[in-house]
Amino acid sequence: MTEKLCQGKPVLGFTDTETVKLDFDELAFRNVKYWAERAMNWFKLGGYIILKSSKNCYHVVFNRSVSWAQNLKVVAWVSLFSHNRGLTKWLLMQCIKKSSTLRVSNKNQKQSPRIVYKHGKQDRQIKEFLLFRGQIKDIMKKLDTERES
Amino acid sequence: MTKRIAIYGRYVAKKPVIQRYWKRRVDGIKQRYWIKTTRYKNVVLSCGRYEFHGTGRDLLRAIILALRVMPNGYVDISAKEFLAHPYKYGTEGFWIDGEVVSR
Repeated sequence: MTEKLCQGKPVLGFTDTETVKLDFDELAFRNVKYWAERAMNWFKLGGYIILKSSKNCYHVVFNRSVSWAQNLKVVAWVSLFSHNRGLTKWLLMQCIKKSSTLRVSNKNQKQSPRIVYKHGKQDRQIKEFLLFRGQIKDIMKKLDTERES
Repeated sequence: MTKRIAIYGRYVAKKPVIQRYWKRRVDGIKQRYWIKTTRYKNVVLSCGRYEFHGTGRDLLRAIILALRVMPNGYVDISAKEFLAHPYKYGTEGFWIDGEVVSR
């Protein structure tokens, strides 16, 4: 092993099966908004939030609770029509795991995803996602303070 | 299904060294066998992952423990169960920075 290995931090994320989530890579914000709006109207998902994870990379979380089969249907539909390679790759990974995950912590030089846009109802899955996200962020803060002290 | 915290990335874990040896069978054919030795080596992996569910306090404790116990593959358990038997689900090691794909 020639490379020097220094201790780092793992990536923390949020996982579940009933929240519809999308992970777009290399796509402009207006296109992300377009696909989120279209999916929300077509599948009656109630509302959505867009989080910016890095430059031209966005996460979308929808409000309505769905089954795992319905969840995959929505993601596959968007993936097929948007021709986004990153989303297709992400979808395949989620199919293997049988649950979908979005990153919450920072990863290498990338900051943790931040909310950039909200639309529609936010009272069900989005509310739960934001609660859990807050919990993970609290844990991250505690870990950082422990590491410093 | 409950909401879970996923922990993933690149890590260094201690794995037993596997040694190859040959043995001549009674029918005269040389057969190859593998044996797990008692020696350990450090390997860089990125295939492991934890999926924890449970209460806030258990989750915090489980994550702190997961910083030094690396997962044995895909581990999907409650934080309480992991706190009770951490080395059943992982091995000693540490997380490292590096390229991690979204998964």
